[in-house]
Amino acid sequence: MEDLKLVASKVREALIKEGAQKAQYTVLEKITHEFNVDGGEFSLFRTLFDNSLSLTAFKDNKKGTMAINKFDDAAIAAAAADCIKSAESGIADEAYDIAPKQEGKVFNEGAYEPEVDRFFERTKELMADIRERHPKILMEQMVVQHEKIHTLYQNTNGTEFESFRGYYTVELMFSGHEGDATTSFFGSYIKTASLDTPFIELGSIEKDLADVEAQLVTVPLTGKFEGVAILTPSSLSSFLFSALGNFVTDNVILEKTSIWLDKLHEQVADPRITIRLAPHDERIVCGERFTSDGFLSQDYAVIRDGVLQNFMLNLYTSNKTGHEHAPNSSYEIVIEGGDTALSDMIAGIKKGILVGRFSGGAPSTNGDFSGVAKNSFLIEDGKITGAVSETMINGNLADMLNNLVAVSEETVADGSSVLPYIAFGGFTVSGK
Amino acid sequence: MLEDFISSKKSLFAPGVHTELRAQENRQRGVSLIKGNLTANIRTEVSGVCARVYKNGVCGFSSTAQCSAAAAESVLKAATENAAFMDRHIGKGKTLFPALTPGMLPVKKEIRDTEQSAYVDFVKELDAYIVSKYPQLTSRSVMAREDSMDKILCTSDGFDGHITSPRSYIYVFMNTETVAGAPIELFKPIGGFGNFFENFDDPKKLYAQIDALYERLMQKREGVYAEAGYKTVVLGGELTGMLAHEAVGHTVEADLVLGGSVAGPNLNKRVGSELVNLVDFAHTAFGKQAPLPVWLDDEGTPAEDAVIIKDGILTGYMNNRESAAHFNMKPLGNARAWNFSDEPLIRMRNTAVLPGRDKLEDIIASVEDGYYLLDTNNGQADTTGEFMFGVCFGYEIKNGKLARPILDTTISGIAFDMLKTVDMVSDTVSWASSGFCGKKQPMPVGIGGPELRCKVMIGGR
Repeated sequence: MEDLKLVASKVREALIKEGAQKAQYTVLEKITHEFNVDGGEFSLFRTLFDNSLSLTAFKDNKKGTMAINKFDDAAIAAAAADCIKSAESGIADEAYDIAPKQEGKVFNEGAYEPEVDRFFERTKELMADIRERHPKILMEQMVVQHEKIHTLYQNTNGTEFESFRGYYTVELMFSGHEGDATTSFFGSYIKTASLDTPFIELGSIEKDLADVEAQLVTVPLTGKFEGVAILTPSSLSSFLFSALGNFVTDNVILEKTSIWLDKLHEQVADPRITIRLAPHDERIVCGERFTSDGFLSQDYAVIRDGVLQNFMLNLYTSNKTGHEHAPNSSYEIVIEGGDTALSDMIAGIKKGILVGRFSGGAPSTNGDFSGVAKNSFLIEDGKITGAVSETMINGNLADMLNNLVAVSEETVADGSSVLPYIAFGGFTVSGK
Repeated sequence: MLEDFISSKKSLFAPGVHTELRAQENRQRGVSLIKGNLTANIRTEVSGVCARVYKNGVCGFSSTAQCSAAAAESVLKAATENAAFMDRHIGKGKTLFPALTPGMLPVKKEIRDTEQSAYVDFVKELDAYIVSKYPQLTSRSVMAREDSMDKILCTSDGFDGHITSPRSYIYVFMNTETVAGAPIELFKPIGGFGNFFENFDDPKKLYAQIDALYERLMQKREGVYAEAGYKTVVLGGELTGMLAHEAVGHTVEADLVLGGSVAGPNLNKRVGSELVNLVDFAHTAFGKQAPLPVWLDDEGTPAEDAVIIKDGILTGYMNNRESAAHFNMKPLGNARAWNFSDEPLIRMRNTAVLPGRDKLEDIIASVEDGYYLLDTNNGQADTTGEFMFGVCFGYEIKNGKLARPILDTTISGIAFDMLKTVDMVSDTVSWASSGFCGKKQPMPVGIGGPELRCKVMIGGR
């Protein structure tokens, strides 16, 4: 293992020697252990040893960034020179900056050292559990990893953050097969710091496998109707990512193309909706502890009780626009459960759809979206009547957030997010 | 360019197994000017060495961020141990795939660096042109991107070689509002294979394409929503290329065939009309260099074209050496890795539907009520061949003539059903190569095709 503080001191010295007036730099060392399953069979064991050195330098209000993966003296000197040269070629802008001095902190998170043999046994157990409990599932690919990451952040205002993080991730890609029938593929994911629980019991893995098996039987859907869509935690996540990206992130605020540009502290969603970005939530595994601008990460609500509280801005866009920078730069979304059981939510729907996955085009700037409802079920008269195929759904992201029907009691925590099922009205559902 | 520090380590390869040793450097350059604000001014250089050992049907892999003979020895040792671990615990007992005739591929293309100031100056000049000529835009973005892979490969039983692939692009985004006040956007990628200074020597040469983009955006301002339903459409070449890659190409990657894709039970069966032909080109297409040429893959297989669909019949898959042996097919150079820390996966190269004999104007004239769909902003498909493509520019076709432009929409279908509806194919091919294919690792790919008349589901509002 490298002495990251020694590397950082060399980086600082090299940047100042080249003429940096302000700078920040991150030194990172990572070891990855990874097992792969392809086509239902174990295929690969990887061990990866990687470094990362990211430098951002400021000179005469110009900014340059350089990233390499070497720590030797010659590489550091060359990177510092290149970084300054890039800055010198840039455009002067007083909005470029780094965070003021923050209290130094060291973070120890998760399972820093991997238990490789136990990890492999849990992985084999997962494959065996799937074969036994879900025989109609074919595992297209499974990638399980342990990452051990040592990170050191410093800036020229005197801030230093150091973190030691380790965690396991399990990513599954699978489909259902029975005779000639086959389903769309589906992905399931968890992040955990513990090997105490069988993987199949974590996140929504078991339910996802069962749902995909149930999708082998499809019902025809012709024509179109306007109805309620229940978004599963997995599909809700993709809709929320699109909505936040379209309405509150750096580029759309900087360009002034967001339709929420003038909606700060106004009602933009149903009062029952609170969306927090909460890397410190105990259900988030190894969440963000400091931002790329050099601030300590703090939990916050983008939308609280339907009111837009914050844009998700970095320091540059914040300085440029006069809006506050975001208290963290993660996408670790937490939405608490509501007061309706999922079964009651389904029972209350005359005609609708339970959307497991949305395969859609990039939503329009105004939030219009359309795409295919994958891994989804038709709901008629309060009951799931079967899986759908070749079914499209259309709507508008901003309208959707104002058209809430119910929030489920149940939530899924996968280590990166905590999300319930949410039912929204106003979806147009079209069959072939 | 990378120096060779690995060839001397071939003597350490273990007998009776397949071994690859690869040194690699990836470089990326990026400049983003968003509404005149320089939000990205970045250079990235990542290099290292990796080894992969295939033993009895399982693989061990290791990589390290060092470029030295000692690092090469360490990853060889670790990959060998990892393969032994998997063999001990999994024990497939498979035999080794057939050896290839050894050979050596020399460097085909030099990777040469460009000063960061050149990227910044280029985008600044384009931005200034847009601002001065089109001040009424609500926003605009100009971005420069260059990425390159430089690999030295040694294999135990195939070709060795020095593989290089630089590509560079300018992306122009323009924003305005519709007549009703809704924000809309269009973008245009320009560029292709080659170093930045080779593709972009004068910003003025891009002005005509910027003007054309603006013209389309002004048309889109007055666009209407497409009417949802199952419609006759004319797919533009870019969308046909997306179809070739996403909806067909992925399903015929042999690892996904083994994972249960729709191509498995359809080999040697009709999957399209007899007008449909589809090829994954290696390095040369239609007598010219393919958009992103591949001469040698990362398993040491010299690259050849893979014919996937011939006259509507599914005739083959894309393979690595292991899957080729499984399916009794010839490996054609589809096993590629993105980074030094990545193992080769089965990937497409330059995947295209072949042109037919129809003229575009005749195809449009033949449609009584439908759509001509030109630009796409993304696409997805799954292993059933069900696809979804975002459409960000197109026109209605009414009584054989182009009518009103349309707003953003989505089309979908099932590839092997939809291809059977193809009844006209134009005689020209359009290529695109600015995107990354995502499949565990990113990978630059080329996609292309002619205009197709066919039927798809189109989303309205």
